[in-house]
Amino acid sequence: MTKTKKLLLAALCVWFCLVIWGAFFYAPRAAGFKGESARIVFFHVPQAWVAVVAFCVNLVASLQYLRRRDLKDDVRAAASARLGLLFSVLATISGSLFAKVMWGSFWNWDPREVSIAILLLIYAAYFALRQAVADPERRGTLAAAYAILAFVTMPFLVFVVPRIYWSLHPDTIINVQGKIQMDSRMFQVLMGSVLGFTGLFWWLYSLETRLARLRLHRDQRGE
Amino acid sequence: MLRESLTVLRKELISELRSRVAISSVGLFALTTLVAVAYQIGPYRIHEQDRPHLHAALLWIILFFAASSGLPRVFVKEEDAHTAKTLRLAARPGAVFAGKLLFNLLLLLGLEAFLVPLFGVVMSFAVANLGALLLVLLAGGLGLAATSTTVAAIIARASGSSTLFVVLAVPLVLPMLVFLIQGTRMAATASDWAAALPALRAVLSLTGVTLVTSAFLFPVVWHD
Amino acid sequence: MPAPESLFWVAAVTVGIWLGIFFYCLGIERRLRQLEEEEGL
Repeated sequence: MTKTKKLLLAALCVWFCLVIWGAFFYAPRAAGFKGESARIVFFHVPQAWVAVVAFCVNLVASLQYLRRRDLKDDVRAAASARLGLLFSVLATISGSLFAKVMWGSFWNWDPREVSIAILLLIYAAYFALRQAVADPERRGTLAAAYAILAFVTMPFLVFVVPRIYWSLHPDTIINVQGKIQMDSRMFQVLMGSVLGFTGLFWWLYSLETRLARLRLHRDQRGE
Repeated sequence: MLRESLTVLRKELISELRSRVAISSVGLFALTTLVAVAYQIGPYRIHEQDRPHLHAALLWIILFFAASSGLPRVFVKEEDAHTAKTLRLAARPGAVFAGKLLFNLLLLLGLEAFLVPLFGVVMSFAVANLGALLLVLLAGGLGLAATSTTVAAIIARASGSSTLFVVLAVPLVLPMLVFLIQGTRMAATASDWAAALPALRAVLSLTGVTLVTSAFLFPVVWHD
Repeated sequence: MPAPESLFWVAAVTVGIWLGIFFYCLGIERRLRQLEEEEGL
């Protein structure tokens, strides 16, 4: 492992420890939330953020695969989808825990909750489709087609529905006037956590793609 | 291009009218589900104020699942009958998609024409604004047909199974169904046209986006 | 106001979870390096 990489990974480890300390001790208690439960937002929001990032990486990889037919792009698409699924599940769990503490039930059919549920269904469908195709190139094409189709329908759920329907989710942090309403300390920790989670995603993504490329290399050598 | 699409459509209609496979499975599915639902949930067993919610939701559930029993086959049957290769050579992908889309649309509209009046009578579904309901049904038919045709094309090149179709189609169709149910409820409860408008706009934009994306994706999937 | 100790324990457990994940991934990283060398990538 190169020196830079070792340094970066060490930094990531320390950064996360800092963020966790910050989440529990540096950030103040949030007003209007039950007890300390609001602290979960420092983990829930970044998880949801990473899930979206993974979805976007998948979109780009899918489009590139359709353009260049390079199997490495399909590898990237599958890897980001797997990570997207992982972080969506984590976001759903942390969200449900918060919902249970705050409103007494794990699930409330809030539009944002529904959109994460549908995202999970999309991932499940994506992997079901991949499993149903044997030929690697066709698998890449069909999976890419489905991913792109799913990607264009998502904005409606995420942005349109909550505007039309009342939502349980606390007002989006950047409200109508464009001002940031969160306490500044909380905001710092939140941004720090988002950075940390993005770094973690990048590391996991590189691990996944390297593993898949190894397999690809081995398969191609075996022919 | 239009003529090619209409030719594809005509071929579909002729083969369908000959075998009536899709029509009968779709119709029977819808009828069976309706009877089962109506028997249990009959018109007078639900409170007045809950009825629009429940009726709207049930209507679209029956429509979607009945459609799923017939629409996916539209590409799979080509693969099965080994006519797919000929079709690829004979017609442009755009025309094939348009023809199949129109066929699915007609099938869906036919289903709606059959089921909705029946549903209305059997469940005592009172509608305040009939015109708005018709618009919602039309938009829904187009939207469901668009998504279903594209997903059908994808699964035909995979395993072709209807289970796979439902698994792939449901997440894409869910947002649309949410809006359609909302729109139907508005049409049933409010005589004012403006009530159903937001839902209609959402459905139509979703449909538009799906169609544009499919126009780009279909040739790729078809010629794989 | 919950006892400050309980928050401390939750924080400690969270750090523990993170370190567990971190070192597990580090292990994968090492193994991958090994395999990549074997493969001549």
